[in-house]
Amino acid sequence: MDLFSGYRIRSGRDEMFTPDLTVRPPYRDFLERVQDWDAATFIQRQETADLDTLNSGITFTVYSDDAGTERIFPFSLIPRIIAPDEWNRIERGLVQRVTALNRFLVDIYGAQDCVSDGVIPPELVFDHPAYRLKMAGFCPPLGVYAHIAGIDLIRDSEGIFRVLEDNLRTPSGVSYVLENRRTMLNTVPDLFPEGRVEPVDGYPERLLEMMVSVRPADVTPEETRAVILTPGAANSAYFEHSFLARQMGVELVEGRDLVVHDEHVYLRATTGLEPVHVIYRRVDDDYLDPLVFLPDSMLGVAGLVNAYRAGNVTIVNAVGTGVADDKTTYRYVPDLIRYYLGEEAIIPNVETYIGWREDDLAFMLENLGDLVLKPAEGSGGYGIVVGPQASADTLATARERLRREPRKWIAQPLQEFSTIPTFDGERFEPRRADLRPFVITGESSWVLPGGLTRVAANAESYIVNSSQGGGSKDTWVLREQPEP
Amino acid sequence: MLSRVAENLYWLGRYLERADNVARLADVNVQATTEMTPAGGGHAWEAVIATLGATEAYEAALGERPNLNPVDFVIYSTAYSQSLRSTVAAARGIAREVREHISREVFEEINRLYLGTNRGGTDEASLRTFYSTVKRAVAAILGLFDNTVLMTEGREWFHCGLFLERAEMTSRIMDAKYFIILPVPEDVGGPRDRYQWMAVLRSASALEAYRKQDYGPVTGPRVADLLMFDADFPRSLVYCVGELHRHYDRATEHTPPVRSVYAAREITLLELDLRAADARNVIRSGLHQFFDEFQGRLGAIDNALRTHIFQALPEEPTR
Repeated sequence: MDLFSGYRIRSGRDEMFTPDLTVRPPYRDFLERVQDWDAATFIQRQETADLDTLNSGITFTVYSDDAGTERIFPFSLIPRIIAPDEWNRIERGLVQRVTALNRFLVDIYGAQDCVSDGVIPPELVFDHPAYRLKMAGFCPPLGVYAHIAGIDLIRDSEGIFRVLEDNLRTPSGVSYVLENRRTMLNTVPDLFPEGRVEPVDGYPERLLEMMVSVRPADVTPEETRAVILTPGAANSAYFEHSFLARQMGVELVEGRDLVVHDEHVYLRATTGLEPVHVIYRRVDDDYLDPLVFLPDSMLGVAGLVNAYRAGNVTIVNAVGTGVADDKTTYRYVPDLIRYYLGEEAIIPNVETYIGWREDDLAFMLENLGDLVLKPAEGSGGYGIVVGPQASADTLATARERLRREPRKWIAQPLQEFSTIPTFDGERFEPRRADLRPFVITGESSWVLPGGLTRVAANAESYIVNSSQGGGSKDTWVLREQPEP
Repeated sequence: MLSRVAENLYWLGRYLERADNVARLADVNVQATTEMTPAGGGHAWEAVIATLGATEAYEAALGERPNLNPVDFVIYSTAYSQSLRSTVAAARGIAREVREHISREVFEEINRLYLGTNRGGTDEASLRTFYSTVKRAVAAILGLFDNTVLMTEGREWFHCGLFLERAEMTSRIMDAKYFIILPVPEDVGGPRDRYQWMAVLRSASALEAYRKQDYGPVTGPRVADLLMFDADFPRSLVYCVGELHRHYDRATEHTPPVRSVYAAREITLLELDLRAADARNVIRSGLHQFFDEFQGRLGAIDNALRTHIFQALPEEPTR
């Protein structure tokens, strides 16, 4: 194995090799195919892949970046490979979790049993900034709030997959899953074990089917008009919005393209106004309707929420899902699974302390140097303090912030998570990687085989977000090998 | 089709056509003038700037940066919104925004053009390479567009923009003759005059067409005949306005007349007036005045499209 000679596992588990550098079973076939390559071949293929990415405009926008606001998402040719039995368990665990979270959302905007039964403290739900009083007493079609969920997983030192974070608002990244696969098939088709990798291109069709299935009651499937609502071309995920519109063949609209008349939504076409029934919005709740949420939002549609409450349009994901994917609520998800489904969580959480609880807060203040402190709100890897890697000054500032606003913070032990070999331009080095599978829920839940594997920007980093320089990889879910 | 998308596709057509024409114009004029007046490189650029209607913007830019090279201004400037590079960037920005309405092939070709338009050298050789890159890329994009984009409304809006812009640029290229040097009476028909008309023909990629259509020795009225009134030549004013008309009718097939009638009126009248005009009369009464009016009428069409179609206020829905 020329290409990987000198590869050293640093800490945590490596997905490809055991500590004594024996290849793990899911990677066996892949390694056989790649090991005859020399570094020059690998570099050349990597360059082809990068050029492919650049030319197809697979870029994202980095805020607060002065020079050139578009970047390509760094892409690495060594895939994450998941064995069939491992995937089977993940799939069941994800469906279980998303089912419980949807039940939870229906409950807190409806009967509120989980609160009366003491499963979760009422303040955590009703004081939550993302709890939308406007939606109380409203149940969306099929009782689905989180139609599209992106659940971030990591694999710990023992090899157990754990949920790191739930994303139920407008999780992004699925376009990279599909484009990464296309790039791989374009540039390294010879590395694929024939017929054994689950395809990923079924996603757009499933998404469209789901959207049609949650249409308003008085609309037939044939006449259902679904659209994607984007904040616009300057948004960091615009590539994805446009990609999904293209893949599904639906219109990509901005707020100014829609108008509401008599609680019905229309789009402004050259030929006049045309009715719209299902909106996959990639605009946050706060910006969705200036009459109900932020009054100065230019991204939304005045009257949209009333049309929604009247049942004339379905919004995907529903308004108000932010309570359920919060990092504080996260701590209670295993309890919610037990409460609603009578089952233990198939995929465990990571141990979590929340500033909201006094006992947790005391522990956090005392052990900040050993913990990773995260804002309870927000995403994108902003504001995270990695205790063991932070300077004394940073820690002091963080402790002060935590003391001042304890409810805004959560903490977790520094979670060692698995690495995947990644080429750094000269040699392979282990980079930490997480996995974001996507779950679509309409009448039932469907999990896209694989998901987005994100890798950290360098060998030391624990942060994989693209806004922090992280990259991505293709994710292969292997099929059961046919009996010989 | 969404009004915003229709407007974007129209502008995509305009910007791509403009990029191609700016490259063509800069290429030919600089060559031609350099050949005739060895020390006249700077003068040639002034003519290009005047042709593009950018004299005021250039003087303003010179006020801020006295050493500003005209090449940097017309070709590479990112501050001047009509420079070749800005035009390509604008086309790419739009293509990215309406990507779901064009094919992957078209987007990738536009994206590649954009990625290749960084600032290059200002010497003749680098500039010529740059122009030919732009011209070839635009040709490839238009070809891919024709062969890969669905035959739906959006395609018609793209072509409306393209032919409106081409009509405008052809008129500007002919007008360039007026800027290169004001004709002195004795010079008309002389070798200098003839040479300049040939440069005009080359700018419009029309020299070969001129020969094939058998117009004879190059003179102003004959060049005007080809570039303005020859319906067989795909860059002539008559051809472009005719195509604009045809694509507009298709684009607005299902648009209520209360919206579509304004631009339709402007386009129809312009086409009829062009068909009724005569090259000799136009030249006698002044080419420059003719083009001024022509460009004004294109502006009126553009305005009618924006006001009554692309940005029309929503009326009550019909249910």
